[in-house]
Amino acid sequence: MLTAVKNQLKVTGLSIKYALVREFLNKATFLSNIIFMILNNSCMIIQWIVLFSIKDDMGGYTFKQVLLLWGISAGTYGVSRFFFKKAFELSETINSGKLDAYIVQPKNILLSTITSDIQVSAIGDMLFAFIVYFIYGFNITTFILFIFFCVTGGLMLTAISIILNSLSFWFNNADMVSDVGNSLMVNFATYPDGIFKGITKWLLFTLVPVGIANYIPIKILIEFNPYLLIINISVCLLLTLLAFVIFYKGLRRYSSSNLMSARI
Amino acid sequence: MAIIEVKKLSKSFKVKIKEKGLKGSLKSIIKPKYKIVKAVNNISFEVEKGEIIAFIGPNGAGKSTTIKMMTSILYPDKGTIKVLGYDPVKDRKKLSYEIGTVFGQKEQLWTHLTPYDNFKFFGAIYDIPEVAVEKKIEELKTLFELEEFINTPVRNLSLGQRIRCEIVASLIHEPKVLFLDEPTIGLDPVVKENIRTLIKRMNKEFKTTIFLTSHDVGDIEKLCKRVIIINDGQVVLDDTMENLKYHYLNKKIVDAKMKERVNLDDEDGITIIKDKGYNLKIEVDTTKRSVADALKLLNPDNIIDINISNIPLEDIISNIYKNKD
Repeated sequence: MLTAVKNQLKVTGLSIKYALVREFLNKATFLSNIIFMILNNSCMIIQWIVLFSIKDDMGGYTFKQVLLLWGISAGTYGVSRFFFKKAFELSETINSGKLDAYIVQPKNILLSTITSDIQVSAIGDMLFAFIVYFIYGFNITTFILFIFFCVTGGLMLTAISIILNSLSFWFNNADMVSDVGNSLMVNFATYPDGIFKGITKWLLFTLVPVGIANYIPIKILIEFNPYLLIINISVCLLLTLLAFVIFYKGLRRYSSSNLMSARI
Repeated sequence: MAIIEVKKLSKSFKVKIKEKGLKGSLKSIIKPKYKIVKAVNNISFEVEKGEIIAFIGPNGAGKSTTIKMMTSILYPDKGTIKVLGYDPVKDRKKLSYEIGTVFGQKEQLWTHLTPYDNFKFFGAIYDIPEVAVEKKIEELKTLFELEEFINTPVRNLSLGQRIRCEIVASLIHEPKVLFLDEPTIGLDPVVKENIRTLIKRMNKEFKTTIFLTSHDVGDIEKLCKRVIIINDGQVVLDDTMENLKYHYLNKKIVDAKMKERVNLDDEDGITIIKDKGYNLKIEVDTTKRSVADALKLLNPDNIIDINISNIPLEDIISNIYKNKD
């Protein structure tokens, strides 16, 4: 079992390494992708500077806490898109029959598929996350927790995308559903939860669990709460498990395809 | 003992029927209609160890669906499959260590990497220690003559070189069975011949069982001793290549250059294919008339030159496809 996990991680590592090798072939594009993503995220911070110049408190958040929220959001987004890019294109992989290549290999099909490519700009998101964290203020405990929440949040984003994209095994055009779901998870992640009320807030802690992935970590980073930490970890594990179950359930319906394709 | 056992295998697909135009599209949203397409319908066959078997049929016959069920890609609706004793549905991982697959239409290699890096990656996928991978690459590099381009990125290789690398990548883990789905598609005759020689050599050196699908009669004729023909999801013929060529249609082609004209009209068992005066080409149905009998009709003293050949395999196969229809 342990050897199998080690071997799976080795293949994942090699997959990332080779994808990076490809990206390094064009250094200018590689670097500009990263730099422009950092700049893009930084521009969004400017609007918050303007807003906080008018009002000191936004939905219960100070400016520094909003910065931290952006850090967590960029970090979770970066982790999910860098390590599991293909989870967000799973629908296309299923519909075009590209899963064949992973099924015939003696590795976990889902993991091999979703880790088979990287999104370079996500490196920019991860760097931005660390920059804003350091502006917020460094201490070793919150730093470890910050990294931990970027990982759990990244896993949650990935799991939700897998669940929604796996609907392609049952329906055509499920990619549209997953696009909407992924957008919701990203769009709500950068606003303080205090501005949402009633059913919207309820949705953000249930069907669109931005609250679990982003808001709860902020609360824990501001003031440590073990119960909230357990909720964060439990939901992360539950979503990951659900993603595997739904994907493998759908895989029985996989119909492949004879479309010509290349691995690029 | 059979290395592959397929028993009463069936697979159907549900296909949505859409009427033409916008109205049809709207209708299909409100009340979708489906039809069931039987891609594979109750087929059974066995393959022995070390065989090179041709699994052929027209487009849409069910070849790829069958291969995909044998390699765990698709789940069968009915029937059983055993490949090397493994059930592809239940034992996917164990089976993948023992089989190799090359789909001519689908590239498995990373195009920006060199073949060498790709082979190392495949070695890691199959959990092969570094030293063993290096040794295997060295061995296959010589066998498949990859020296010249093993360190060139795959995207810069010719199609023939790429297919050679695809085959090598599928052999890194020394599979006992290799599934080749149209490996020579799009290749020129010289490269095709080269690939065929390598496949033969691989079968001889490693005793690899090869399950081949191809539309190229040359592949089938030059590589395979046994052929399974599938049409409309059913096996229509499972025989040796020899039987297929010499007995299935029981016909011979006689191409003769004559001193004098011969009239063979209305002769039973003889069909005139071409009659250009002194050059005559006829087809002899050996169930009705022997070849010797046909030669007597031509009169041996009247023959300047003669060539007796079998019906081209391509024609035999086309006939089998058509007869099924």
